[in-house]
Amino acid sequence: MPRLKLKRKIKRRLRKKREPKLIEIYQRRFIEALRELRIPLLMLHTALTVGTLGYMLLSGGDFINSFYMTIITIGTIGYGEVVAGSDTVYGRIFTSFLSLLGIGVFTTSVTVIVRIFFKEDIITLYRAIRMLREIEELEGHFIVCGYDKTSAWLAQTLKKRKIEFVVIEDNPEALKYLQEHNIKYFITEEPYKRSVLLSAGIKRAKGMVVNLRDDARNIAVIVTARLLRPSKEEFYIYSFASTDGTAEKMEELGANKAFVPNKLLATRLAAYIFHTGSAFISDLFDRIAFGEETDIDILELRVEPGSPLVGKKLKEIDLRRSLKVTIIAIRKPDGELDITISGETTIEEGDTLIIFGRPKNLRRAQKVLLEEAHKVLEDKA
Amino acid sequence: MRYKKIITDFFILMALTTNISFIVSPNPYELVITVAANLAATILKIGEGRVLSTEMLASSLVADLHLIPALFIFFMGDSHEAVGLAQGALAANIISVIISIIETVLSAFTEEED
Repeated sequence: MPRLKLKRKIKRRLRKKREPKLIEIYQRRFIEALRELRIPLLMLHTALTVGTLGYMLLSGGDFINSFYMTIITIGTIGYGEVVAGSDTVYGRIFTSFLSLLGIGVFTTSVTVIVRIFFKEDIITLYRAIRMLREIEELEGHFIVCGYDKTSAWLAQTLKKRKIEFVVIEDNPEALKYLQEHNIKYFITEEPYKRSVLLSAGIKRAKGMVVNLRDDARNIAVIVTARLLRPSKEEFYIYSFASTDGTAEKMEELGANKAFVPNKLLATRLAAYIFHTGSAFISDLFDRIAFGEETDIDILELRVEPGSPLVGKKLKEIDLRRSLKVTIIAIRKPDGELDITISGETTIEEGDTLIIFGRPKNLRRAQKVLLEEAHKVLEDKA
Repeated sequence: MRYKKIITDFFILMALTTNISFIVSPNPYELVITVAANLAATILKIGEGRVLSTEMLASSLVADLHLIPALFIFFMGDSHEAVGLAQGALAANIISVIISIIETVLSAFTEEED
């Protein structure tokens, strides 16, 4: 008896339907749209079959000419009576009936078929399916929920940095702007749905920006996303909030950082007011920090215990000549920033090097320094 | 009574039976009716979203791609080659009928469970 119960339980579990993927829903909708083709195609097919068989009977089995005669009759081309037997009384009676029924059927069917094919739905669905397939290939990308002017600026910056991203926006009016702004990947669905986030590749994404112009909706998306990707270290969620209090709640619910747009803008503006005398430098640092200066970047590199850099003087490693990057400051493990470094400064364990340079050189420096450290540690082991 | 299923099954079986009769005694009318029945069966299968329906559509398309060239070849005078192609279409039609039966049995089980 218990075995039977277990069997039934397993069967019930197996029968439990899984949530369909967004791509599957779109594919189903696409197939349903194609179903509309059946009636016009069947009508056209019947007219062609009746016409061809009729003329075949009249001509004694001449298929090619009978088919041709049917086409020119129902297609209103009318080159004449090209098939044997069609110029007889029976032939003309048959042609008259075929014309009366066939011409209507032909024009209606062709119009309906063309309309179905060029209907916005089918083309949009086809494009959406293709886009979802491409999104399935993405890895380490960002998801931007909501598309307004702020998201448009963000998209532009991400594009400049060659960072792939998927926009999710449920307002169909935004579709026009998404296409106008050449956004490569977008999904026009409600972003707080699990299936939508999964289709945007949340499991493989690096982070997410939530900007839905409504705190409640933002929270719904943050919570759903955090349930799918629980680790704050592996998946970053940045959100917008209307007040400081809401921002705090969002961070408690799963956002890595919630911004209050007005406050952010005021802080940035204040920075300009405070540095009116050194406008160029403060503007440069500002642009670097906000990712607007794509030619120059800053990299933070932590010196791990056992790294070959430990105990070395800055003039010994001479990164400026070897890797074309400059160490501008060192952050000590206690958080203190040493900005008075020179060639005589010694690197200590746990230091974070603040390196300044071109993005390409910085990437190379990071790779070389990390690889070297890894090699030394391996040798020690 | 599901009329849609009756019509679809009618054309699937009609495609198979006319295909066999053409192979047994090659005849121009028989071939045209076979092609017409096959095309009708294909059209009726368009837009069916189930897994087995897509298999059925695929097998039907295979049969069409055998029979349409067979039609032209037959009327160009090579009836032997046309019969050969019709035999190929027969294999696809048999598979189509088998899938149709499996689908009917499966849907009967699902209905019972519901």
